[in-house]
Amino acid sequence: MFGFEGDTIASALHAGEVKTFSTSLVYNNPRGFFCGIGKCSSCLMRVNDIPNVRTCIAPLKENIHVEIQNRLPDLPKASFEQIPIESLSFDVLTIGAGPAGLCAAIEAAQKGAQVLIVDENQKVGGQLIKQTHKFFGSKQEKAGTRGVDIAKELENELNILKSQGKINVMLDSTVIGYYESKKNHLFGVVKRNDYKSQFLEINCKAAIIAVGAMENMILFPNNDLPGVYGAGAVQTLMNVYGVKPGKNVLMIGAGNVGLIVAYQLLQSGINVDRVVEAAPRIGGYHVHAAKLRRCGVPIYTSHSIKEVVGKEKVEGAVIIKLDKNWQPISSSETIVDCDTVCLAVGLTPSTRILSQINAEMEIIPEAGGYVALHDESMQTSVKNIFVCGDSSGIEEASTAMIEGKIAGISSALSIGVTKDKENLLKYIDELKLLRAGPFGDKPRAAKKIINKLVKI
Amino acid sequence: MKKKADVVVIGGGVNGCAIAYNLAKKGLDVALIEKKYLSSGATGCCGAGIRQQWSTKENVELAIKSVKIFEKLSDELKEDIEFRQGGYLIIIHNDKEMEQAKENVRMQKSLGLTVDILQPDQIIDIVSILDIKGMKAIGATFCPKDGHANPFKTTFAYAKAAKSFGASVYTHTKVTGIQTEKKSITEVNTDKGKIKTSIVVNSAGVWSKQIAEMVGITLPNKPYRKEIMATERLKPIFDAMVISFKDGIYFSQQKEGQIVGGIPIPEEISGYHTAPTVSFLEHMSKTLTSYAPCLKHVNLLRHWTGFYDVTPDARPILGEVEKLNGFIQCNGFSGHGFMLCPMVARILTDYIADNKSTQILEKLNLERFKGKNFDKEVYIVG
Ligand SMILES: Cc1cc2nc3c(=O)[nH]c(=O)nc-3n(C[C@H](O)[C@H](O)[C@H](O)COP(=O)(O)OP(=O)(O)OC[C@H]3O[C@@H](n4cnc5c(N)ncnc54)[C@H](O)[C@@H]3O)c2cc1C
Ligand SMILES: Cc1cc2nc3c(=O)[nH]c(=O)nc-3n(C[C@H](O)[C@H](O)[C@H](O)COP(=O)(O)OP(=O)(O)OC[C@H]3O[C@@H](n4cnc5c(N)ncnc54)[C@H](O)[C@@H]3O)c2cc1C
Repeated sequence: MFGFEGDTIASALHAGEVKTFSTSLVYNNPRGFFCGIGKCSSCLMRVNDIPNVRTCIAPLKENIHVEIQNRLPDLPKASFEQIPIESLSFDVLTIGAGPAGLCAAIEAAQKGAQVLIVDENQKVGGQLIKQTHKFFGSKQEKAGTRGVDIAKELENELNILKSQGKINVMLDSTVIGYYESKKNHLFGVVKRNDYKSQFLEINCKAAIIAVGAMENMILFPNNDLPGVYGAGAVQTLMNVYGVKPGKNVLMIGAGNVGLIVAYQLLQSGINVDRVVEAAPRIGGYHVHAAKLRRCGVPIYTSHSIKEVVGKEKVEGAVIIKLDKNWQPISSSETIVDCDTVCLAVGLTPSTRILSQINAEMEIIPEAGGYVALHDESMQTSVKNIFVCGDSSGIEEASTAMIEGKIAGISSALSIGVTKDKENLLKYIDELKLLRAGPFGDKPRAAKKIINKLVKI
Repeated sequence: MKKKADVVVIGGGVNGCAIAYNLAKKGLDVALIEKKYLSSGATGCCGAGIRQQWSTKENVELAIKSVKIFEKLSDELKEDIEFRQGGYLIIIHNDKEMEQAKENVRMQKSLGLTVDILQPDQIIDIVSILDIKGMKAIGATFCPKDGHANPFKTTFAYAKAAKSFGASVYTHTKVTGIQTEKKSITEVNTDKGKIKTSIVVNSAGVWSKQIAEMVGITLPNKPYRKEIMATERLKPIFDAMVISFKDGIYFSQQKEGQIVGGIPIPEEISGYHTAPTVSFLEHMSKTLTSYAPCLKHVNLLRHWTGFYDVTPDARPILGEVEKLNGFIQCNGFSGHGFMLCPMVARILTDYIADNKSTQILEKLNLERFKGKNFDKEVYIVG
């Protein structure tokens, strides 16, 4: 098989119509990938005799040997280099290079901190690089610009600071843990090279956690069949790698993500059978819903998915009507002819590193689940540990960027490389302004609780 | 919360739940109080290995009797606790260890245990991936009836069965004080209410010391952080738990395919530390791969810490204390309290419900530390 430079193993396989990557542990069911952004484990395959390679973020290379992993893998056989643990030190470590992490790293570096930014992907930009639509939000935070172009602008700023030696960038690397340290904060990073991993330890005075979010999954029979994807996976395949995820899509969820991705599917020449939404009304912006309707895509509110049908892959789906109490109404099923089911049913903040650090956590439904409590400077209950973006509560790129800037400046202030607070107050005001609109209700409520509960 | 109970059990680890079950089954009115959730203490962090090869008689006896109970426990509790017997392989590295092993095997056999001393080439028959040279092994002992169970399922199964016999289980409830009058207990205070009782079982794991302090009793127990890791999942490779007293390492492959194991770090000191260390990662991966070089390429997936509740002789403290009537100790397990729980719970239940004492209880009570000479358990790993 062949693929293009810049492809991941998973995107190249998809382009070649290979959609089963592994089989499940207990029932030996076929599994394809689901999240497409390195969060779940349904894309694990054996590559060059190394098991459990996460193919949705692993780069495609020439002459590699990729095998489907059946249930449990055999022992690895690859050659092994005994590399001693390398130890690096920085003022500020930023984990995640999405809009939040990039803005944080840039601000901290501009204020004079030595910064390392780590991301597990091949490119910086986080979710932005797959967003081909013009952004909503505030003008200052680049509304009207396409997500992918915002990512490029931020990358350019990053590259300037990199060339000045103020920021170090480590890609294809995952921060895997937080460890005991006599002074400062100590993190472990796994850097991948030819699908093998190397462990490094990173010492830092402050750390900014900007690791984004994970896509939600919903329960229904056959939700693990290849062809059931998260919206992020569909966007990634289509907009980053130019690979069509399928021919005929059933979209679950009529929030902004579901509506935008449905429209992007149409733009790529893929049929969207319908959008199904459990709530009695559409959650996303009216403009996005109207665009879909003009293209003849119906939106079924008070409907949900009952099950997916198919043996080796998605061959169709059954949807069902819901009553006032969100309960299925019997005999209201409709069969939908589709080869792809896209779930756009919300996100949950990624917070595992934060709970390992022992930052005080709280379940706040408005923020998407467990989040670390933090103050206005984005500092958590642990000194010099900051959080920003979706990982501090689900919101959007515009607020993620400002939160990132606040966290970046605050970290520089806190470790004493600057005393300049001027922009900090400006950003805090901007953030309030951004949340002032009607769509700011939920985040505003969430942040109020998050801020109120924190004790530093 | 109920107003009174025959017995209040403090701690929802495997020991507290097993005791609550046995007491309730005897018809006693039991309240179990757990400050977080069931198995949130050492139980939920542990390796859950079940070994009968010990250096002191009491431990061997407790372990043999516990294994007899474990063998039928899934049926008894009507819940699969995933008990399986893959054996424990204890690596011997030098003549001194061999001498001790011979002596212990003799003692263990006299108590009815099936256990053998193996030559180096026989080790490979038990666990094929081991490297005799890398481990610097001159032999091993092997008991095929040692094994493993799922610590979460065991704890939940005990708790569920306890409830079915009428025990009340209060999670997310913290014991904050114990009221006494003269030499007797009158009441247990929690952050959610008070319960009148005359008997308290202190099975609060590494926090038992603080519970005893509430009634002015000092336990000699010390907390030690212990680190443990799990690798990514692999096809089944071996069944036995491999351990070494010289290197302190232990590891086995779980039913789901991951290899789980631990080792102490050289610089460890006592205290309530919970953060994992890079030192453990280094130490564990070096030692593990010298034992089994083919694991060099395997990724570590998770790494966490828990506490050993360590006593001066590395043996548990069991039974009633002299200074306070009805104050029953069930702690100080020093890193092997999962495997002993079925029998420990029965012995303590016999004592509480029927006033029956045993030699083991007399040997393992708190008062033994008054003397200077006590038998020390030396077969400790992790
Ligand atoms: C379809 C869709 C449309 C959207 N439209 C808009 C819009 O119009 N306007 C708007 O403002 N917002 C929009 N958003 C929301 C916006 O994309 C997100 O809120 C934003 O990307 C969050 O930024 P972030 O930096 O917090 O997280 P992310 O962009 O998710 O970045 C996190 C990064 O951290 C990396 N990472 C995670 N864990 C680790 C680790 N352990 N080690 C190393 N790296 C790690 C990840 O790989 C990722 O690159 C949209 C989202 C979607 C899905
Ligand atoms: C890394 C590791 C590996 C181990 N491996 C093994 C092994 O292979 N085999 C083996 O047999 N043993 C092993 N052990 C030891 C074993 O885990 C413990 O001995 C055993 O689980 C102790 O159980 P417990 O119920 O006595 O205590 P715990 O499980 O610690 O339970 C005590 C409970 O008391 C609760 N509590 C404390 N204070 C209060 C309060 N004030 N009010 C209410 N509740 C309170 C706690 O929240 C806790 O849940 C290991 C331990 C560790 C840490």
